[in-house]
Amino acid sequence: MTEFINRNRRHLTWALYAAAGVLLLLFIGDQLAGLKAARIVQTLISGLLVGGVYGLVALGIVVINKASGVFNFAHGWMMVVGGMIFWSFFTVSEISLLGAGLLAAATMLMILTTVSYRNLLERRNLAIALGGTAALTLLMTIGGIEWRWLHALSGTFAGAILTGLAVERFTIRPLIGQPLFTAVLMTLAVAEVLHGVTQIAWGTVELNLPVFVDPETNSRFRPIRLEAFDGLAIVRVELVIAFILALVAFIGFILFFRYTSVGLAMRATSEDQQLAQSVGLRVRVILAITWAVAAFLASIAGVLQGGAVGLSLNISFVALRVFPAVLLGGLESITGALVGGIIIGIVEQFGTLINSSEQAGTNLAPYVVLMLVLVIRPDGLFGEKRIERI
Amino acid sequence: MKKLSVLLTILLVIGGILPLTAQDMLPYPSEMTECEVDLTGETINIFHFGDLSGPYAFITQPIVSAVTDAVNYWNSHGGVCGAEVAQVYEDTGGSREAAQSAYDRFTSTYGDDLDLLLLYSSDDGELLREQLAEDEIVSYIAAGSIESLYGEDGQTPGWLYASNPLYINQFGFFCQFVAGSPEIFPDPVIAFVTWPGAFGLAGTEPAAREYCGGLGVEVLAEPQIFLPTDTDILTQVQNAIDGGANILYTNSLATGPALLAGTLVDLGMEDDIKLAGVNWVMDTSVGILGQRVLKPNGLPSTDGMFGSMPFLWWTELTHPAVQFVTQQFQLNERGPAEQNIAYLVSWGVVDSILETTVRAVNAVGSLDAVSGAAIRETAEAMDYAVLGGLYQHSFEEGMRDGKMNRVAVLKYANNTMSGPATGPEDAMLIDDGAGGQLFVPIVVPLTGFLEVPQLRG
Repeated sequence: MTEFINRNRRHLTWALYAAAGVLLLLFIGDQLAGLKAARIVQTLISGLLVGGVYGLVALGIVVINKASGVFNFAHGWMMVVGGMIFWSFFTVSEISLLGAGLLAAATMLMILTTVSYRNLLERRNLAIALGGTAALTLLMTIGGIEWRWLHALSGTFAGAILTGLAVERFTIRPLIGQPLFTAVLMTLAVAEVLHGVTQIAWGTVELNLPVFVDPETNSRFRPIRLEAFDGLAIVRVELVIAFILALVAFIGFILFFRYTSVGLAMRATSEDQQLAQSVGLRVRVILAITWAVAAFLASIAGVLQGGAVGLSLNISFVALRVFPAVLLGGLESITGALVGGIIIGIVEQFGTLINSSEQAGTNLAPYVVLMLVLVIRPDGLFGEKRIERI
Repeated sequence: MKKLSVLLTILLVIGGILPLTAQDMLPYPSEMTECEVDLTGETINIFHFGDLSGPYAFITQPIVSAVTDAVNYWNSHGGVCGAEVAQVYEDTGGSREAAQSAYDRFTSTYGDDLDLLLLYSSDDGELLREQLAEDEIVSYIAAGSIESLYGEDGQTPGWLYASNPLYINQFGFFCQFVAGSPEIFPDPVIAFVTWPGAFGLAGTEPAAREYCGGLGVEVLAEPQIFLPTDTDILTQVQNAIDGGANILYTNSLATGPALLAGTLVDLGMEDDIKLAGVNWVMDTSVGILGQRVLKPNGLPSTDGMFGSMPFLWWTELTHPAVQFVTQQFQLNERGPAEQNIAYLVSWGVVDSILETTVRAVNAVGSLDAVSGAAIRETAEAMDYAVLGGLYQHSFEEGMRDGKMNRVAVLKYANNTMSGPATGPEDAMLIDDGAGGQLFVPIVVPLTGFLEVPQLRG
């Protein structure tokens, strides 16, 4: 018997997992059996749309990880900062010219000095800086309240670039060549700094961010009502917008990483920073771009989340809920971020449908699924399989 | 600045546009006990710590503003019995470890001077209950859990005193109201759609279900739980409705009740299902965030939400306490988002702390001689109308929570500010500073102050 077990250990393990999976499915089937089909369709739609937002958040974490190997624990706070900057421009009718100018100038300064501060000594670069500052300031302040989308988007763009570059320049760059774990710990410190900055700049109160408001009714967009399966399914427009934005971002990033020289350089850098540097890749610049892009993605996610439920410090916790999605999809996989986000979104909703009173949807189900997947595919669904030769 | 001025307009509208000049400063609304001891040269510290930057920060942060304004008020009026008033506080970010550290730091730094401590959260109350008793330090708290106030058995009063009724008692009180209002709530079935944790799940205990059941109000056993970060709670709401509920009750804050109300409108069930909740659902933040979604009748989704109101509210401007706090709020140029429950009640808590201290000093002869035991004895002997009636400080016979409550409904003001609007046509609408308009939330009490049932078992 012992010999049989030893000889077939691998198959027996798989058989046990399969049995557990079947039992789980039978249990879920039993729980769902009494429900109307419309409820199941509704749960699926809700999960899919919420999962899209998770995917967008996960994408920002994955982009950093893919390029630098760093798991960014500050991503949730980058969402908050981005959302707050957007709010500052979106809900104010008269933008301070001085404030906008300073933001633009700081952003341009950070961009131009990405490689070296000496760049500022060149007359051409100074002209670019001044021109860029003037253009950004104009975009942030032009016209009245009817231009607020332009103000908010350009302000958020500048704020996100500034945040991303500042985080990279002052916290991550000094750690190039150091163990990755140090950089990961640094992101925890960055999270606390952003927390403090947010609190000082915007306070801790809940803010209304009316981005999904129908101008005709001055109310949130009416949801789409689908009459199907002997019932009603509600599709919330703001979540559809978030989902579409997530899809666009995914397609863009897949193409970016696959077909652009910067994307390829990012992938090379993630493999080995020192090796990448030795073949002439500008690791500093690549890392800076990555952090700026991730900060912008975080800002978009912050605006979408803030628009859907209101802006507060609490939205930083969304990133914590997304961690299982990142691990499920695979730490370096763009596709995995989307798929992981959607799976976790759907699993959460079905967990809630089956048992909301014990928070099965948020506290249990995502982690059970994550465990099952990681046992079968330790690098996640789309993660890169790594073979270490010893 | 524009945003601030716009929201200050809300404040002025809510505040009835009090004319403020140096000549008509309103008098302090309560008459504090006369000092029998001169405390000139001494300092009365108001000690407090809690979550000012974590999950509950958006509601607790105005506590610091209110205490600061109250301290400045007293110091600009000669102090209390000649003593300067000061505050000592710390942010714990909602972490139990940080709360424990703050407590240790406070007790080691201030030693015998720390006899009375203001806490914010039930969790901190539960954490520190035994230590407060051991160190003989009295704590005032807005709303504590059964465990923090009465111990695990619910029968052992400790050193914490809550101004609000226990959440479970608030829920029982609401059941009384439901049972007595069949025209509003025919065949009532209540489901909890609520946040998790000690606060969120308060009232889901079997004792509450049994009590409400005895009144003819069914309460579903399974609460539907959602998180402050959730963007979609259709599943939870549909679970509750499929379970037979026609009243959804929530222990949540700010975005929580607003999301719940919006979800009902999405489902087209805003007329069929009633919404209600604990005292925090009546807060200004809910009134503003609820405007994100409008009902088919054009009013905000949170219009008509029921809730507990165990103290006076900003709109009850005929009362000197509310007039006074409103004037102080304006004089100190506080931001509109701070015009919430925490700011209003904190003025009351400071009044209560100072009154307790003065009485204790009178009893023992000096500030130095005041001990935690003396404060406790004083606190239990007091029957005091805080700020002249904002709420009642009364903890007789081992009570550790407030016993009076009202049921109120969240409405939106009409354009003459004489009552609730019936639709957008007659509603008071003000410019939101960003091209839109805002309704002005008001709270309408539906009952007088009545005793809550005692359900802690």
